Amino acid sequence: MTGFLQAVAYGLLQGGLLALVAVGFSLVWGVMNVVNLSHGAFVVLGAYVGLLVNQRLGLDPFLGMFVAAVALFALGYVVQRFVINLVVNGPIFITLLLTFGLELLLTQGMNIAFTANYQGIQTTYAGTSFAVAGVQIPVGRLLAFVLSVVVTVALVAVMNRTRVGMSIMATGMDRGAARLMGIRARHVYALTFGIAAGLAGMAGTMIGMVGTFNPASAGGFTLLSFVIAVLGGLGNMYGALAGGMLIGLVQALGGYFLSGTWVNALAFLVLILVLMFRPSGLVGKAFYSARLEV
Amino acid sequence: MRQVLEVHNLSARYGRVEVLWEVDLFVGSKEIVSLVGPNGAGKTSLLRALSGMASSSADVMSFRGKDLRGLSIEQIVDVGIAHVPEGRRLFPGLTVRDNLRLGGWRTHNQDVSRVVELFPKLGQRINQVCGTMSGGEQQMVAIGRGLMGEPDLIMIDELSMGLAPVVVEEIIDVLPDIAASGTSVLLVEQDVDAALTTAERAYVLETGRVVMSGQAGELLADPRIQQAYLGIG
Repeated sequence: MTGFLQAVAYGLLQGGLLALVAVGFSLVWGVMNVVNLSHGAFVVLGAYVGLLVNQRLGLDPFLGMFVAAVALFALGYVVQRFVINLVVNGPIFITLLLTFGLELLLTQGMNIAFTANYQGIQTTYAGTSFAVAGVQIPVGRLLAFVLSVVVTVALVAVMNRTRVGMSIMATGMDRGAARLMGIRARHVYALTFGIAAGLAGMAGTMIGMVGTFNPASAGGFTLLSFVIAVLGGLGNMYGALAGGMLIGLVQALGGYFLSGTWVNALAFLVLILVLMFRPSGLVGKAFYSARLEV
Repeated sequence: MRQVLEVHNLSARYGRVEVLWEVDLFVGSKEIVSLVGPNGAGKTSLLRALSGMASSSADVMSFRGKDLRGLSIEQIVDVGIAHVPEGRRLFPGLTVRDNLRLGGWRTHNQDVSRVVELFPKLGQRINQVCGTMSGGEQQMVAIGRGLMGEPDLIMIDELSMGLAPVVVEEIIDVLPDIAASGTSVLLVEQDVDAALTTAERAYVLETGRVVMSGQAGELLADPRIQQAYLGIG
């Protein structure tokens, strides 16, 4: 029984972190209809930024993640503004191809810059744990989980309450109509992509703190983001949180009951089951319900 | 009368297909001007050319002395032209209030009271999600959203499309108030009778060209208009 509860606790904590990995991916897909295959590479790049500022400047990952967020935001903004915007109105195949190319570029670049060795961000507290009713709660993962929930809630607040958020939502619903309101769609797209990359950077630093990573981890994060975003409902940030938790749980319980190789198959099985009964994802409709182009 | 919008020799195209030829047009300050004509005459295309949604070329296309040629959609909004597009294009998942606030996005105008004054019905439905409202109410939101940016000219495409005549009348009755308060109106309308009764002047478009223009009253009395559009004669 304790083993089962341990798996549940681990799954929920891991799921919160996965939600932070996926929320930006979901945002970009929902607002721009771009499936960003380089998202996982942004996550890993964020982990390396966190690692570098930790090793060189001695910054704690909870400070380093802000450096990663700012650096990745800037990179994301520039990539969208000057590269993806060129083809953002094209067929989805073109943006897939472009972001796939970007992923190759980034992961191979990281291979050259940082080698393919597994690395981790060392802290004094992340490896410690405390017990609640016989269940071990790892401190690092708990902190990362809390951060993920706080960031997701904050992101929803920004989307619903602020001027920038309103412009992002409006552009996602109907780009042409948003432009008729005077909203700079190209800038909003770049901002959205930048925010997504910044969140990926934060998530990456957390992942580097609770585990290990190398450039080849990028593909796995993209895949998980894809599953979680579709599970939750595209562009729905609470949906990403729910989807992340579900996948975290499924993976942990799958690992508890079955042999390790089944874990990824289970994630997709859950995806298929949810989509059979709720085609719009776990959390109702995505925040946009219609998409029109000029 | 002072002209706000002035257009000489405007042509517009979609890709390689030319849809407007040699259009001359002006709209005065506080004036209501109608564009009428059959389906496919180019009325919507003309509005789209003016708001930058369709590519066009012209000898003169200026608004309050500012050259509009080559400006983007957003820049044209900035000079003070609001476009209520065909099909209304509201943000369907958002409330009336949020739609109106987005209309005031450029000017940071969050005050919906003037729009509610013009369309009291919207006051009762301010927190309703737009996608669930009737066509007439949606058209009110669309026009209200256009006015939130405090434009000097509002261009309304197919105001009456899909609406009951009594609703159309209710909305059209507000246009003189809008014009009097300083926002000129350029109205595209299929209902020629309603368009010419409301407007001071009108242009008749056919197959991409202006074929007639003048005072609305004179056009309404013109036998060609009566025969072609009003079923009289």
